[in-house]
Amino acid sequence: MRRRLADPSDRVLGVLLLSPAFLLLGGIVVYPVIRLIGLSLTDLDLSSGLPGRFVGIVNYVGLWSDPTFRQTLLTTAILTVVTVPGGMLAGLGLALLANLAYRRKWPVRLALLMPWAMPLAFTGLIFAWFFNGEYGVVNDILRRIGLPQRIWFNSIFWSFFAISLTIIWKSSSFVALVLLAGLQAIPKELYEAAAIDGAGRWRQFRAVTLPLLRPAIAVALIFRTITALQTFDIPFTMTKGGPGSATETLAMYVYQSTVDDLALGRGAAIAIVLALISLVMSVVYMRQIRAAA
Amino acid sequence: MLRRSFMTTALAALPTAFVTRRAQAAAATELKVFISKQERPSVMRQAFDEYSARNPAAKVTIEAGPTTSEAQAQYLNTVLSARDSSLDFFLLDVIRPAQFAAAHWAVPLNSAVGDVAALMKQYLPAYAAADQVNGELVALPGFADAMFLYYRKDLLEKYQLTPPKTWTDLTEQAKKVTAGEKDPSLQGLSFQGAPIEGAVCTFLLPYWSAGHDLITNGKLTFNVPAAGQALALWRGFITNGVSPRTIAQATTEDTRQDFQAGKVLFAVCWSYAWALFQGKNSAVVGKVGVAKLPAVTGGTSVSCIGGWQWGVSAFSHHKPQAIALVRFLSSLPISKLLAIKASLLPVFPQIYTDPDVLKVNPWFAAAGPVLASARSRPVTPRYNAVSEIIRTDFNAVMAGTMTGKAAARNMEVRLRRVLG
Repeated sequence: MRRRLADPSDRVLGVLLLSPAFLLLGGIVVYPVIRLIGLSLTDLDLSSGLPGRFVGIVNYVGLWSDPTFRQTLLTTAILTVVTVPGGMLAGLGLALLANLAYRRKWPVRLALLMPWAMPLAFTGLIFAWFFNGEYGVVNDILRRIGLPQRIWFNSIFWSFFAISLTIIWKSSSFVALVLLAGLQAIPKELYEAAAIDGAGRWRQFRAVTLPLLRPAIAVALIFRTITALQTFDIPFTMTKGGPGSATETLAMYVYQSTVDDLALGRGAAIAIVLALISLVMSVVYMRQIRAAA
Repeated sequence: MLRRSFMTTALAALPTAFVTRRAQAAAATELKVFISKQERPSVMRQAFDEYSARNPAAKVTIEAGPTTSEAQAQYLNTVLSARDSSLDFFLLDVIRPAQFAAAHWAVPLNSAVGDVAALMKQYLPAYAAADQVNGELVALPGFADAMFLYYRKDLLEKYQLTPPKTWTDLTEQAKKVTAGEKDPSLQGLSFQGAPIEGAVCTFLLPYWSAGHDLITNGKLTFNVPAAGQALALWRGFITNGVSPRTIAQATTEDTRQDFQAGKVLFAVCWSYAWALFQGKNSAVVGKVGVAKLPAVTGGTSVSCIGGWQWGVSAFSHHKPQAIALVRFLSSLPISKLLAIKASLLPVFPQIYTDPDVLKVNPWFAAAGPVLASARSRPVTPRYNAVSEIIRTDFNAVMAGTMTGKAAARNMEVRLRRVLG
């Protein structure tokens, strides 16, 4: 034993070197997840004063008939379906722009980084002011160019619009960074060869850029979809879920159940459902990538 | 000097029974209190120091928390659900005692005060209901708050009007004054329509005024038609132009700021606004009147009680000392001290007519009757869930995405899920 430690084989050395990381991950990922699953099977509610009892899948069954759960699920789905493609398109455009041959690259890169570097909650607060019905700059511009102004957050449609636009602005930057890295990995020779073969810019984009960008797009898509499913900060700071609770997302419902209502069992169950949806989406994407490769 | 003599006489009147023998015997005990930054920690410090002067064994350290009630609740929820013993006592919003009782986070004070009924009778009537949960005395009143109708005295005088007694009167007066003033930025009425805690009170004002209750003896007694009418009343102010369409986003601070800028004729707001209306950055100094809130036609005038309660942590290692201190802080001399030094509304009705207090805060004379008519929001451990339901559906009606009737039905369905 002592000899093995003093002169460890590659295998033992590998385990020894990896163990701190495993312990850390176990402590901050595995243990909380297991605890959360356990919690979701109890009726622990701090506002009842009773210790949590094991109730099996009651919390999950309860979600089925919970109108708030259904509504927040729908809101989350709408925001995901709108902002993921929206952010991808905007991000792709930005990446292509940033990939052009500029004499100075840093101002473009800096502009690209700005939205990404901004904390989500700040972004939400800033855009909430933009869309403010009384003092907002959006209404001011509309007034100056003679278009009708509106009280954005009084309408469900326009609240969704404002939130989606904010998320697209914020997330396009991240998408652009990932895609820009992908773009720069595409060898210049391919474009030269395509040009010699008589391909125009659009044809080059479709035949060279898009196929080679696929892995980068997939990575960006996975990250974007998962963060879109977990949307919290921007609607929380922009509308607080209003008007009524029309723009309340699933993640906001987790927060409301646990932090406000102290219904830890139910909140854990919603969190698990949210995690499962994210997991399923990731698996679907991964398969797509593998099938394409 | 004068202040000093007031304090000494006031405090000398305190029964020494508050000081338990154990507290005297113990070596210096450090008691930690959680209060908000908004609750004038410097004035509170004076109250704590007075106590320490009389009981050298007790020292108080302040942990000053965030300013909104929601943020404070989140902090206390985290600390107390972790059974942390570092806090000994705290100031609770009036809506929290039921939750704290159910979670066993606050020490019942029944045995410490003896005759609970006799003690609670001394305070404003709403606090007896708010601080007792199933016979358990969870907390003791520290200082009061309520919603008031603020009005522009100068404008009402100009049009020879007296403060409205009903919401219908208010509508007529608002139309008359805004039509006469021809100022497009002047709002007739400002209230809290955003989905915040204040919106729960806004909703309840006409609902209560019509004689209905939300919860009676722990059972849901939600009257759907009456709720629909209450919602329709508020929505009516928007559709008939008395309130702006942006009211669905108005928080308490928006109401306060708009009124302070001279852009509002009538405002439903809490007591803290008064001092700011008379302050440096106010366009309405000396032009503000305070009245009882209007009633619905055929109903009575009611207000929504707020205020802050002293409770003792169930996880404190110094419970007897903390209880003695809480008894001291909820006594009449301290209520008077807070009224004079920090303009905090007293929890004892007689202080509203006390000449020492009126000299500093003349408007307390008008506030007294409002506080006496104030009612407490539903006392239930699931209050946060109840509040969430009311404020979101109320907000949907104010934004115009739901009708009053539909929202009332929706509230009932959701309240049943929470309260059974």
